[in-house]
Amino acid sequence: MLVRVENVSKQYMVGEQPVTALNRINLNIEEGVFMAIAGPSGSGKSTLLNLIGCIDTPSSGKIHIAGRDVSGRTPDDLARLRGRSIGFIFQTFNLLPVLSAEENVEYPLLQFKELSVADRRDRVRHYLKMVGLADFGRHRPNQLSGGQRQRVAIARALAIRPKIILADEPTANLDHRTGARILRLMRRINRKTGATFVFSTHDKRVIDMADRRVDLEDGEIVRLGVRKAKHEWGFALERAEDDYDDDEETVDAADE
Amino acid sequence: MLRLALRNILRQPGRAGLTLAAIALGVASLVMSGGFVADILRQLRDATIHSQLGHLQIYKAGQFESGGNRPLEFLIDDPAAVQRAVASVPGVVVQGQRLAFSGLLGNGHGELPVLGEGVEADAESRIGQAFSMLTGRQLASGDTSGAVIGEGVAAAMKLKVGDRINLVVSTREGATNALDFDVVGVFRSLSKEYDARAVRIPLKAAQELTDTRGVTAIVVLLNDTDATDAARAAIEHALPPGFEVKTWLDLAEFYTSTAALYERQFGFLQVIILVMVLLSVANAVNMTLHERIPEFGIMRALGRTGRDVFALAVVETSALGAVGALVGVVIGVLLAVIISAVGIPMAPPPNSESGFTAGIRVVPWILGAAFASGLVATVAAALLPARHLARIPVVEALRRGV
Repeated sequence: MLVRVENVSKQYMVGEQPVTALNRINLNIEEGVFMAIAGPSGSGKSTLLNLIGCIDTPSSGKIHIAGRDVSGRTPDDLARLRGRSIGFIFQTFNLLPVLSAEENVEYPLLQFKELSVADRRDRVRHYLKMVGLADFGRHRPNQLSGGQRQRVAIARALAIRPKIILADEPTANLDHRTGARILRLMRRINRKTGATFVFSTHDKRVIDMADRRVDLEDGEIVRLGVRKAKHEWGFALERAEDDYDDDEETVDAADE
Repeated sequence: MLRLALRNILRQPGRAGLTLAAIALGVASLVMSGGFVADILRQLRDATIHSQLGHLQIYKAGQFESGGNRPLEFLIDDPAAVQRAVASVPGVVVQGQRLAFSGLLGNGHGELPVLGEGVEADAESRIGQAFSMLTGRQLASGDTSGAVIGEGVAAAMKLKVGDRINLVVSTREGATNALDFDVVGVFRSLSKEYDARAVRIPLKAAQELTDTRGVTAIVVLLNDTDATDAARAAIEHALPPGFEVKTWLDLAEFYTSTAALYERQFGFLQVIILVMVLLSVANAVNMTLHERIPEFGIMRALGRTGRDVFALAVVETSALGAVGALVGVVIGVLLAVIISAVGIPMAPPPNSESGFTAGIRVVPWILGAAFASGLVATVAAALLPARHLARIPVVEALRRGV
């Protein structure tokens, strides 16, 4: 099991009000999977990705990555873990604006002291070619389209050959066609290299490209699904409709 | 890291320019204020040396300890021998003999206690280049009964050039002696107190008046003020026992107190400038780093540690600080040259009637100190924001970019 999330909760304060972003989440992510974390805004998708990506820490519970418990690690330990094992693709691309496309891809590799300059450059060229940007290496982010920037971000995430790639709403800032291309690209890479992808989205068309899905609502997993065929899912876990009815009755009663 | 830092600086010329301007202006202010103070003190020093004191004065041992009240009891009986010994010391430009006395100045209408000096006119014309004559002229080598008097003496006794005065003194043996002199000039030195009591007459006349052939002091002018202490040591070595050598600084109470006053006033001004530099630089650096929190968040998400981010922020601001401080030094030097060419009219120092024109002196150590202050202020200003960047949670840093 590549990632094991055990009974993880995350609370934070909004002013003086405690807010539960995630409540006792349990989740396993197998190696090589192409997984969607689905749910409406505020359901806890990004928080879950942040916790798996070790850029945030859970209030309670444990997360194991490649069999190692990451709870209680120092910020520097977590930084080193991220640098070696986790690739990120962000909704807003988050490229370093002063660096060219190839320098952005090279940036996380600078921490790999075992790589020679030539090996590093080869790897950068390889991944830029993989995402179709072989001819755009010297372009700065502001000289690239949104889709191209996200491709650079994908190449950057892949370049460290991570155990897992986390993508937080990777298509949200792209038009539908470009978003679909980016997803197809990610999926193709997943199929070709076996890289594990976990991405968050609330777009149904994007969810349908995944082979596993986790549906979140109000910080809780409400469904765990495995894709059987196109547009057809088999759900291993589905929360009962009754869970919602109680709330609706309460709201109705309040309205009266 | 340095490449990334430099690119970040160059990426936003406006923002970097603003920070650079804050640093450069602060450093230029330090260069100019420091140079201004240095020029005032240098002018005051040179005026002190060249109006009265020379660089060194040689006395018979004991005169200084006696408070100088009984100068005729501490005469150098063979000044020529002393001058021969002093002439062998490198850097000595000119030597002048002086004979100090106290007495009464009368003009037929009243009397005034005065401090008199017999001087060698030729030597004094070279030593006292900063002596300003208000009316008349300096003593000349041909004068036998000429006298120059201080501005205060002239005012108190209503004397002018051409008037006749009478000086009455007690000789070393206690007899009273008197001679008449013609006022040939009225002078103003740096010290108002001195001008209120001072009369200068030819050395020979003073010796006749006091009935002696000795002198009370030999004044030495050097070609380099900075060599004063070395020259003093050399002269002390060259002279036989029984003499004491005082530097201009030992004798310049007026200079010491005025310099201390200026240093306090301008020191306070410089502290204010330094604080303003620190605040403006801190503001600019803080703004710059704060705007870039999301970028530093990306770096940390990609595996950089808080220490890496801290180092990058400090390196970046240090590079800015170095460039800004260098630009500030260049601007400061240019402005110093321009302003010095025009001159800054200055009011007289305390206890003086002489105003002067100040400039801004380009002093290497002040340039170095201003550069270092700009650089250190910038680095210091970066430390807290950089620490904040290194500690802010990654998620929080990334969220700022949304």
